[in-house]
Amino acid sequence: MELIYSENRRREEVGQLPDRELAIQARGGDMVAFEALVVRKTPSVVAVARRIVGNLEDARDVAQLSFLRVWEQLSRYDETYSFNTWLYRIATNLAIDFLRSARSREKAHTATLHLVRMRESETGNETTRAAEDDSASRLFQKVAGRLTGKQKAAFVLRELEDLETSEIAEILNCGESTVRNHLFNARRALRREIERISPGLSRRRDQRDKVEP
Amino acid sequence: MTPSCGQIRGRFDDYSAEALTREQRRAVREHLASCEECRRVAAAADPLFLFAGAAEPPVPPAEISRILEGVRSGIAWKQAERRVEAPSRRRRWSILGAAAAALLLTLLAPGAPPRRDAPAAVAGPRQSADTGFAPAAIAPPQAPGVTSGTQKFPADATIYDFNPGAGQPRVVWIVDRSIDI
Repeated sequence: MELIYSENRRREEVGQLPDRELAIQARGGDMVAFEALVVRKTPSVVAVARRIVGNLEDARDVAQLSFLRVWEQLSRYDETYSFNTWLYRIATNLAIDFLRSARSREKAHTATLHLVRMRESETGNETTRAAEDDSASRLFQKVAGRLTGKQKAAFVLRELEDLETSEIAEILNCGESTVRNHLFNARRALRREIERISPGLSRRRDQRDKVEP
Repeated sequence: MTPSCGQIRGRFDDYSAEALTREQRRAVREHLASCEECRRVAAAADPLFLFAGAAEPPVPPAEISRILEGVRSGIAWKQAERRVEAPSRRRRWSILGAAAAALLLTLLAPGAPPRRDAPAAVAGPRQSADTGFAPAAIAPPQAPGVTSGTQKFPADATIYDFNPGAGQPRVVWIVDRSIDI
């Protein structure tokens, strides 16, 4: 007896396909291809969303909503464009919307309060050590509370996903000069926040801010 | 310090000023990921180097499965919503369409349908095909009901027979006048 269709075999086949090809097959109604895309892209979508919304639980919700939105809008996907850019655009917009919601504002406010209290209660040396010992991810969450959603998204897409300015502009639906502004303002705000909790880490901040446009 | 470290450190300012190409930026980040001493120097130069290429903790496979399950549930929910919405939309249109057709047929009929209090017509020969849509038979008043084949119609029913003819499909429209308001 010949096995005509095997879902496992099909999963292995689609696992070899590039993103764009998977998206085209998913657009044609192939759920195996769509789920392969979900599995492949979940880590990066969760990573970006986590940096923007601030915690894994919310990032997971954003990722689920993003893939659901992708499924709903697959018929509009234009394969002449990068699937990654399209996906990041959806995920970033949802994460920024999430951040703007009252619940997220409250969480961001709580994080800021925590930061202020931590600064008040600890000495400079202790905070320096804490900042150095902290993972970059946790430190980012501590200091990124003052960034706007788009500033945060621009910085995350640049530093975490290593995207070019033009790609970030496409994802955030704005001009490249606006992206450069977002990046400049994000860097400046982050340096200030890091210096607030750990002055020793930001020796050259003032000098650098004078040099940058 | 290796020459590579020297080259990389020479790019720190350009990295912070967004003046490097993607390849140069990637080289800096990859070097920092593997060289603790350069990482320390970079962080001293600009604390934002702490975030340069810092990888998020990996998403465990179980977490990916949970997200996939959530997406599947969401899709199932959306599909169910569509299934519920689509028939109701069709039903709404079909009701409107039927009402419009009924109105049109009433207006276009060659003779107005006999009023309920009009003299009872005798069931006679059917109208010719060229009259199109016309009353074909009015049930005899004395009968409590008219039986046609296996169907039983009310006594006041007016039966319209559309395009009757040999070999032609018959469309029969029955108006039950007993429920006229």
